[in-house]
Amino acid sequence: MRKKIRFQNTKAETAVYFCASLTGLLLIWYLAVRYTNLNKVMPSPFEVFAFVGSSFVKNIGSRILPFHILASLKRVFVGYFLACIIGIPLGIIMGCSRTGKAVIKPIFELLRPIPGLAWIPLAILWFGIGESSKYFIICVSAIVSIILNSYSGASQVDPILTGAAKMLGARPIQIFFYITLPSSVPQIFAGLQVGLSSSWMAVIAAEMIRASEGAGWIITTGMESGNTVQILSGMISIGLVGLLLASLLRLMERGLCAWNIQGK
Amino acid sequence: MSKVEVNHLTKSFGKLKVLDDISFQVEDGDFLCIVGPTGCGKTTFLNSLVKLYDVDCGEILINGEAVDLNKHSIAYIMQEYSTMSWLTVRENVQFGMKIRKFSKKKIKEKTQEVLRMVGMEKFADYYPGQLSASMLQRVSIARAFAVEPDLLLMDEPYGQLDLELRFKLEDELIRIWQETKTTIIFITHNIEEAVYMSRRIMVLTNKPTKVKEDFENPLPLPRNVTEESFVEMRNRVTNLIKWW
Amino acid sequence: MKEKKLKYTLISVASIAAFLSVWYLVTDVFHIFPSSTFPSPVKVAQAFIRKLTVKTPDGGTLATHLAASLKVALYGYLLGIGIGVPLGILMGWFRKVDLIVKPIFDLVRPIPPVGWIPLMILWLGIGMRAKATVIFVSAVTPSIINAYTGIKQTNSVHIWVARTFGAKSLETLIKVGIPSALPMIFAGLKVSLGASWMALVAAEMLASTEGLGYMIQMNRMVGKADNIMVGMITIGLVGAMLTWILEKLENKLVKGGRTK
Repeated sequence: MRKKIRFQNTKAETAVYFCASLTGLLLIWYLAVRYTNLNKVMPSPFEVFAFVGSSFVKNIGSRILPFHILASLKRVFVGYFLACIIGIPLGIIMGCSRTGKAVIKPIFELLRPIPGLAWIPLAILWFGIGESSKYFIICVSAIVSIILNSYSGASQVDPILTGAAKMLGARPIQIFFYITLPSSVPQIFAGLQVGLSSSWMAVIAAEMIRASEGAGWIITTGMESGNTVQILSGMISIGLVGLLLASLLRLMERGLCAWNIQGK
Repeated sequence: MSKVEVNHLTKSFGKLKVLDDISFQVEDGDFLCIVGPTGCGKTTFLNSLVKLYDVDCGEILINGEAVDLNKHSIAYIMQEYSTMSWLTVRENVQFGMKIRKFSKKKIKEKTQEVLRMVGMEKFADYYPGQLSASMLQRVSIARAFAVEPDLLLMDEPYGQLDLELRFKLEDELIRIWQETKTTIIFITHNIEEAVYMSRRIMVLTNKPTKVKEDFENPLPLPRNVTEESFVEMRNRVTNLIKWW
Repeated sequence: MKEKKLKYTLISVASIAAFLSVWYLVTDVFHIFPSSTFPSPVKVAQAFIRKLTVKTPDGGTLATHLAASLKVALYGYLLGIGIGVPLGILMGWFRKVDLIVKPIFDLVRPIPPVGWIPLMILWLGIGMRAKATVIFVSAVTPSIINAYTGIKQTNSVHIWVARTFGAKSLETLIKVGIPSALPMIFAGLKVSLGASWMALVAAEMLASTEGLGYMIQMNRMVGKADNIMVGMITIGLVGAMLTWILEKLENKLVKGGRTK
């Protein structure tokens, strides 16, 4: 590992290898389907892309693809939003107040090991098979990491900073708003990222179990009718949307925390 | 044939030229101290020697051939703390010996010997996370001596240590040098240290760095810092380094 | 100082007691919810004891479901980390491997593990193989990522030390790279465990005829909320226990008073 300065090369290099890998993968897929028995269970890449393309105008079930995606996204946003407005304050309270921590943490630790998806049957029993049960499941799935990260962000504020502020005469509430809150933001965002991906997973799972539209519904019905093309199209769409959501959040973070970009 | 031969060494980082056409030789068994202003490339030179950096121009030869880390037994004590946090002090010291494939018996003996030399035998089973910075530096020094190198490179190793320990280790280094006839290249800021230990002194200029002067230090060992001849030599070096 | 700690411990205990009391009051005393949908803690405890021996209505006792779940989960988990950790290490250390594998990984990774379930059911049918594959997919990703990051974060000073002593690339990987990456690798093992356990629950709700996930799904269909809660609590407890075991292992294997 010499200290060679080679930035230009690495960026171009990575891009080239990426395209090569992608092309290679598609090629192998196509060849495998064409020339082996794989075509009994697996469609060719063209079929899948054709399906994805056509589903923008042709219905899957009773709606076109974008509608299904939006239905899933809508559920995510409601559940995720709920998780944020409940989770972030709870986490911050736990981080800032010892009493708050003593009250909230035990209950949190009791409920936390239960995976979000395990709440699905109970949620359906309580809220029926409509939208509310899905909002609940998504909220529960996302809230754990949001609370955890908000807690750790608020509790790990550099004591040197708060000490300096106190010396300058700041009141507790000023310290909270000017120091604790801003310095917790990166950690809170880390929790929001994990929470978002948990939400996206939760909505897919919830839709697979009980839904009449949505991305998860697409792949489940594909399975029920043996339509592998539909399943694969659904999976690819799910993956792409997941990526998009993560990138959007990262962009937001860059705006709010420009001073603390952690490279990935 | 010299032990270490440096020919027209030039190294730049981008537009910044650090080492500018440096040439000198170090004979077998020599003790060379390199002194110079901060940032003049002393560490860069050592890194180039052990092939951590590629040079733009020029060459470094050991025993007349290009540097080969498998063949030539080199030990390098860096300026940065380099103890491995997942190994105990004892295991850290043994690290180099294991790579060099010393026998088990030898490893055991040498470990005891060097730990005693740097005064760390009580802490042999501690982890670096539990020790202070100067203790860790001692461990790095012990690790380097343990492999009985032909060529010992030291980059300001005693800078963080307290005076008493530093004097002790300086004397130890001279003793080991006389016993083992290792070739030593020692970088330091401390002029007194350089005059105390070295047999040769090389003074470097500011960037772009050239060799300002390269001369023998003929004072007989053991040296006394209060003697007139010592003070004279020290002043001589100080005057050469006056970069302010 | 000790008094303060006692004070907070008491508050915590009181909090849990309050939680359980409110739960009990809301259900068994004031009947705000029908006990078929929201049973009291007492009913849940009774159901737990019952499920230890009774097989209805989901075809197995708590123990048989638990055993089935553990078997599949461990199978998929061990396979996942067995492939994920070495792969992540190789990708992190050898640039060629990284350049070839990473793009493929980045393409497959955004698809959530649960998203693989329908495909696996179609290809492998309902049962152990489909479940294990889904769990494998969910375990492999965090393992790769954490092992990769751990290796990439290797301190270059340590690598240089090994190099100047004459160590070659593979030896340096074994003596420096992997030991220094162990904390991150273990963090990855923990995340993989959590992900596997979650994927297990999902897989069992959709692709199984036994197991804890199946149990809670079945009991929902017959409206036995107390059994559902027993299942949920068991899932939570076992998950926590597995994590605890992993942490104990970590303490033993990953030594050193690390500064980072």
